Amino acid sequence: MTHLLLSITVTTIAALAWGLLLGGISRMVTARIHGRIGPRLTQNYIDLWKLFRKKSSIHHGTMFWLAPMFRIAGGAGVLLLVPLIVGNTVIVNMSFSGDLLLVVYFMFFGCLGMALGAGDSGHPYAVIAVSRGLAQMSSYELSFSAVILVLAAGLKTLSIEEIVMAQQDGILSWNLFRYPFATVAALITFLPMQMAYPFSIVLAPQEIPIGPPTEYSSRLLSFMFSGRALFGVAKLVLFVNLFFGGASGWVSLLIKTFLLYMFPIFVSSVFPRFRTEQSIRFLWFVPTSLAAIDLLRIMI
Amino acid sequence: MEKQPQRIVSDSGFEIEVVRKDEGYFHVRVSRANVIELILSAKQRCGKNILQLISVVDRIEDDIFQLTWILEDTADSSVFIVSADYPRENCSVPTFGDIWPTAVIFERELHEMYGIEFPGNPRQYEDFLLEGWKELPPMRRDFDTLEYSIRTYGERRKRIHTDPRKFIAETTGEWDTPVPMKDEDR
Amino acid sequence: MYCNKLPEIPDDRKKIWEKVDNMARANSLWVTAFGTGCGAIELRPLHTSRFDMERFGIAMRPTPRQADVLIISGYLAVKTLKRVIRVYEQIQDPKYIIALGSCTMNGGMYYDSYNTLNILDRYIPVDVYVNGCMPRPEAIIDGFSLLMKKIKEGKAEGWKNYIENLEYYRENQKKVISNWDLPDYNW
Ligand code: SF4
Repeated sequence: MTHLLLSITVTTIAALAWGLLLGGISRMVTARIHGRIGPRLTQNYIDLWKLFRKKSSIHHGTMFWLAPMFRIAGGAGVLLLVPLIVGNTVIVNMSFSGDLLLVVYFMFFGCLGMALGAGDSGHPYAVIAVSRGLAQMSSYELSFSAVILVLAAGLKTLSIEEIVMAQQDGILSWNLFRYPFATVAALITFLPMQMAYPFSIVLAPQEIPIGPPTEYSSRLLSFMFSGRALFGVAKLVLFVNLFFGGASGWVSLLIKTFLLYMFPIFVSSVFPRFRTEQSIRFLWFVPTSLAAIDLLRIMI
Repeated sequence: MEKQPQRIVSDSGFEIEVVRKDEGYFHVRVSRANVIELILSAKQRCGKNILQLISVVDRIEDDIFQLTWILEDTADSSVFIVSADYPRENCSVPTFGDIWPTAVIFERELHEMYGIEFPGNPRQYEDFLLEGWKELPPMRRDFDTLEYSIRTYGERRKRIHTDPRKFIAETTGEWDTPVPMKDEDR
Repeated sequence: MYCNKLPEIPDDRKKIWEKVDNMARANSLWVTAFGTGCGAIELRPLHTSRFDMERFGIAMRPTPRQADVLIISGYLAVKTLKRVIRVYEQIQDPKYIIALGSCTMNGGMYYDSYNTLNILDRYIPVDVYVNGCMPRPEAIIDGFSLLMKKIKEGKAEGWKNYIENLEYYRENQKKVISNWDLPDYNW
């Protein structure tokens, strides 16, 4: 029991630190793409500390306070249910006790809590953003379930552990090469999950200034930030496990998550934003049909 | 429909002074009794369908406000300009708010800035730019802005010296270039 | 729905934390995107690759709730002062104000205008003035580095000043804003 608690704490803290560092790197990379120097590597830690120590005197109702906790809980939940390293017996957390569907449920749990909190804040922009976000979520949820269907039909299992184990004989056994179309579809749905640019209709900095967290300040915002970082890492680990053969060690985990994290950043810095209905239409049809191709291949 | 307002001018039974005439530009001055008739006939007979602006000049020397209506035809961007003089005291001008809704806003602004009344304009006493202004309307020339500014916002802080060299020399003690500089030093 | 409580100054018991906090605050200044007067146009180049203020950790925030710094970028009309007070009081403590241009110091070229304030720090507490008409982006960055220095030394205490002398500021504000309809404090 102590071992489990210890492992959970260590995983969460490490994931938080790694997520913030990735965030810092992403800001630097974006700046370099713009031709700027960009912030320091540690900027995100500094921001977080400053926000954490700022005074807060705003109250908008219970959900307003709970939403950041929901977000952190959602992120941590996903992280703890996913095996980090193949065959590692020291840090297993709870990866044996949940399958892919539970993880997906946790992923949407965090967003839902966020939506309730933002709605409670009563700011019109936050409400617009929430309605957009939920519409978009329902659309990429569809494509992502199609991808899960491909994996389940192909590997005859929903347990992440077994999906990872099935990818262990060489690089060609990765799901990336077994189900290339489904992988592309999953990567497309990864963009809106990370609020990357063509699909960033929720934050939409120039239209509805930063959307849901408009009323959040100080400490609550810092929780929101850490929740987001945690969530980011959890999703990265999940994707590495599902399509890129899992990680055989800490180094390979870091490298794989890092490379995967760079993907939305590069896409993000060269694309403009879709309108809401464009984004939803794209997410309904393109990734879903890509996943359907692979599904047909399995069936035939 | 004829495009040029000449006909209106020659048809009208009252005196019209043509200030300037040009291609697509026609500026006339009339007495204030005939303003409404002239503007309405310009709208109906030669398609000046847009009221671009109502402007006021405060000619305090002659004790008048000179009002100018600028009308435009959107089809060929020709403008027709009508000017008329009104007395400064208790100035009251007809409103065009029911013909052009923009006029309501222009007239609100003029009421606030010059104190001109537009009887019949439903919104003329609403605040436009100034919120809760209680003094003389600020754009009238008998309003002393400097005096008002000092009274309300306080005297501005001034530097004691106006010569920057002397000022820098006194504060930092660094300006020791001889003034004026000799030619070979430049 | 307003909160009627007036703000309080937090007690500075945790002196050691205060040093670390000040370092963090100085290196992560978030600015409310709010422009008054001519100067807002000189803030835009700060984002670009030429001046790049993100390398100092300065970022723009679209909402006052998340910001630390309010920039008064030029002359302030009475009508805008009302909005500035609202925005300033919605920023969470600690908060700082940078004022740009000669208009904010002594009225500048609008010293005799019927509608612009002459001396800004009678109405809100200013931490750093940057002079010029309009200050170039370099000068604004210089102003930021001065503010950072002040924060690190723990001297940027305009917000405490505001809370302590709220009555004085309110009196001055009410003197120029003739249709005062704000609550006691805009949380
Ligand atoms: S100081 Fe100059 S540039 Fe700045 S607001 Fe005043 S007039 Fe405009």
